[in-house]
Parts: sequence; structure tokens; C-alpha cells
Amino acid sequence: MPKVEKRVFKDVERGRSFEIQLDGEKIVAYEGETIGAALLAAGRRTLRYTNKFEHPRGLYCGIGLCQECRMIINGVPNTQACQTLATPGCQVETQKKFRKQES
Amino acid sequence: MKESEFVVIGGGPGGVAAAIEAAKAGVNVALLDENERLGGQVFRQFEKGFKVADPDALGMDFNEGQELLLQFSSLQDQIRYLNNTLVWGIFKDHTLALARNGTSSNLSFKHLLVATGAYDRPVPFPGWTLPGVFTAGGAQKLVKSERVLPGENILLAGTGPLQVVLADQILKAGGKIEAILEAGNFGKQWLQGLIGIWGNWDFLKEGLRYWHSIRKAGVPLLRSHIVLEARGDGQVEEAVIAKVDKNWRPKLNTARSVKVDTICLGYGLVSSTELTMLAECEHKYDLRLGGYIPLRKANMETSVPGIYAVGDGAGVAGKKVAIIEGCIAGISAACSLGYLSSTIARERIKPYQKRLNKINRFRKILDDISLPRKGLYELATDETVICRCEEVTLKQLKAALADDTIQIKDFKRMTRMGMGSCEGRMCGPSAIEMMRHRLNAPAEDIGCLRPRPSIKPVALGVLAANNTMSMVSGVSVQVSGRDRGQRTENK
Repeated sequence: MPKVEKRVFKDVERGRSFEIQLDGEKIVAYEGETIGAALLAAGRRTLRYTNKFEHPRGLYCGIGLCQECRMIINGVPNTQACQTLATPGCQVETQKKFRKQES
Repeated sequence: MKESEFVVIGGGPGGVAAAIEAAKAGVNVALLDENERLGGQVFRQFEKGFKVADPDALGMDFNEGQELLLQFSSLQDQIRYLNNTLVWGIFKDHTLALARNGTSSNLSFKHLLVATGAYDRPVPFPGWTLPGVFTAGGAQKLVKSERVLPGENILLAGTGPLQVVLADQILKAGGKIEAILEAGNFGKQWLQGLIGIWGNWDFLKEGLRYWHSIRKAGVPLLRSHIVLEARGDGQVEEAVIAKVDKNWRPKLNTARSVKVDTICLGYGLVSSTELTMLAECEHKYDLRLGGYIPLRKANMETSVPGIYAVGDGAGVAGKKVAIIEGCIAGISAACSLGYLSSTIARERIKPYQKRLNKINRFRKILDDISLPRKGLYELATDETVICRCEEVTLKQLKAALADDTIQIKDFKRMTRMGMGSCEGRMCGPSAIEMMRHRLNAPAEDIGCLRPRPSIKPVALGVLAANNTMSMVSGVSVQVSGRDRGQRTENK
């Protein structure tokens, strides 16, 4: 959990809160927040690791263009965390370097 | 396949204003927008779940947006509004390819307006891919519409008035800003600025208000300063900053490190021209106005008859200009569709044209100061990733250049730059600038990364699920904040 509260509670009322799963751990999200914002508020900044250099990447453009926030959301890879609203119980996983599955 | 007389792409200020004007004249309008809710970036509304307690605390943009959106919603019988709709291609015979709610479909048009807006100009420098480096627009969306601060100790860097707006929003939300770095030298050109501002009092007032809020919070505003490097283990922990000369080249003896966990960068905006390019409209390069922009006539029509372009996507100029241009285009389209006589259309356009000329005079001064200079594009080192998606480094691009690459599209073939999932939006604009300076050639000779359909990633399953039926009905507009009843009472 982060040291400082990043959510702003003045001027605007938030909706109900609920839990979502981030790599198997529970974090809190509020209705109307994107997964990207909920993760940021929970202190998580790395959303994926790149394919070539395995570098960490996080939210960058924030408006659905740069594709840096691609995560595995409810089992679907390459889903943009900045464009996907959090829903109760949704499963979010850090997207790692793509490896061919052994058969 | 359905047809609409006038299709508007983009639900920001320009698109909404155009739809309103055309609908008022009697035109059947369809407005397509990618987002859940109308408003674009500047008038972005809150998602369901948020309730606005004090609209006035949210700033002028918010209230101004509410008024425009309410006017739009009062014309619902005339405007078919489709949210969550991505226009991913424009094909022959005036046909648009759409993706919506997991299915794809086509829509044809008689007249088309492209109002796709702009995004923050990406600038590569060492460490710019670290988590904790945000674009100013991304940070603004987080603070304004999600009410989450991007970090605990924030550094703002870039150029132009949008930085000051973001700073004000962060401070009002209770965030901490270490410093604001302005690459341009606003000080010396202050007098010139005043002459330009003359007669544009609302701009001046708005600017001063933000200025005061920053001064009051004690945030240092450093002119002629940029970020050279972002450092940290896995995320931003510090930023190296320095003073720059008039070409924005850092004076290295002034370089110092500041401890911050977040860097927000706003070096101006790039016009989103993917659709006007796909429609084969003619474009010219003007860095001041956002890179490649479509050529337009006074009535906002592009070189392709019946296709109009307004707002930041046709030349970055902000919300006020977007609204005015939208009105002009809406009236023009209504006229050429036969809903207005040319005499009436001309009369209605005249006052908008006047206001546009007045604003343009003021803009010129700001643009000159904020124009990205050469030095900005010399920050990347050999190891710096230029194409974030395909992880192509400057070293690879230099090698390709040595191998007689003369056009930007050759980088695709030789290095895969621009072939990743952002479709070249993040690397293209800076690659053009870097090549332009290196080769000392005009941008038109270097070309551009031609957009291809789909202009954003669309899953194969969505393309396969062709559902024309889903297009029949539009959705009603939800305006967040005050509800309509309350609004009327207030008046």
C-alpha cells in the first residue's frame, strides 16, 4: 500500500468501492475508475514488461493511444488498463514477455 | 449498410459544435465517438459512479463543456449519437469501417467531418520509458476525471500554457509539485506577448488566474529549463534537469538532479490525422500547428470535396478555436446539403470568422515561444528506445540512416520502427523532427509513417463479427455533473 493517499476525495464524490485481483492479490477500486487508475492509487506503476528488453512500462499517454498499459485482464492479453473500467472481482495480471508455449 | 447525410467523427468540442449547427439547420447527423461519454479530452465527463459535488471547483473547462453538451442533448431527435465507436478505416465510396461493442460494421456518408483531436508530442530522452513518466495529457486525465494523483512528488516539464493548467489542477487536488520547467523563454518576449494579447482579455484573465494559483503554492517556475534524463530502478526516482540555450540545447554545467517520483511532459500537441490521411486529403507539415495537418479552405473543407476537418486534429489551436471551426463546418455542410441558402450560411459564418481572426493573432506569439527547438531532439542517446512498441533504439535508426534511408517510411522496412501497436503515433512525430534536423531537409521530403487501416488495434474476432443491425439506434446523451432540471432552475 502506498504511503500517501493518491485518491482525491474533495469536490467529487466517489461511487461504491470493491475489490479487484492484481496478480492474485486484492486491491481496492471504486466504481468509475479505470484499472490503470486503481492500480496507480494502490502504488503499482509497472503494468507490463516488454518483449525484447523485458523493460518495465506503465501508464504513459493515459488516453488509449500509446498501448504501454497493456495487461491481461480477465484472461484477455493486450487489454488497455487505461481504457478498461474496474469491475468487482475482475482479474488483472501483469503482462510479461511473450513466450511460445511448450507443447 | 446505413447512410447518414453528415457523419461527425469525434465527440470533443469541435465535433459537438459542428453536429449542433448542422442539426439546428435540419440536417440528419450521426456523431461517432470512441469514448463511453461525450466531451473529448478537454470536456471529458466523469464515468458512472462519480458524483460532482462542486462543479465550480473543477474549473472553467468543466462548466463550459456542460453547456455545450446540454445543447447537444437537446437536439437528440436530429442527431444519432454512437458512443464506444472506433472508426478504424475509410474506404472507397464514402464508407467508414466501425468497431463497436465487439462487432464491426460499415456506415456511408454524404458529408464527413473529422474532429479527432490531438495528443501530447512524445519526446524521447534517456529514461523516458520508465514507469512514472507520463504525458501531461495523461496526467491531466487522471487528476481531472479519475481523481487520482499521478505521484507523490511531481515534476512538470515542457512548454506552453497547458502546463500551467495541469499544475493548477494538481495543486487544487492537493498534490505536490516540485517545480515547473518551461523550455521556452517567456520572459524576454513578454512585451511582445502583451501586444498580441491586446483584445483577448478572457485569455489573459484565464492565464493570470493559473499563474496566481502557482505563485501562491510556492511552486518554482523555471524558464529555459528542460528534463535531460529520468533515472530510477524500475521506476522514476530522480530527474536530471538543466538550463537550455535558445535552441533548447542544455548547458551541461547547469545540470542537476531533483528527487521526484513522477515526471509529466507536455511539449505541445500532435494532430491526429490518421483518418484525413486515409481519406487521401492533402496535408502539409507545420510544426507550430501539430505536425502534418490537412489543407483546408475557409469553410473547413479539406482537399477532398465533402470531407471537413476541424479542431486540434486539423491544426492544434485549443477548444475555443475547435468550437468556432466546428460551427463554421456545420453551417457549411448544411448549406451544401441544401438545408441553408448560401446567403444565410455566409451571414451565419461571418461572426465566427471574425472571432477566429482575433484569436489567431494572439496565438502566433504563444506558438513562436513554444515551438519545439532542435536541442529537444538531441537528448536521446544510442541506447534510448525511440519506437516504444518495437523497442528500436537510436543506434538502430542511425545505422539505417547511414544505409541511405531518406524517407521515414524506410525505417519501417529496415528497423520495424512504427510497426507496433501504437501504429507509429509515439515514434513518428519525433523521428520526423530528428531526421529533418539531421538531414537538413524539409519534412515533406522525409514524408510520414502512412497510417493503415485499422488505425488502432482491432481484434480479429471483432472484424469477423459483422453486425450491421447494431447500427440502427443511437444512444441518448448523459451529461454528468448538474442534471438538467437543476441547471434550468439556476438560470
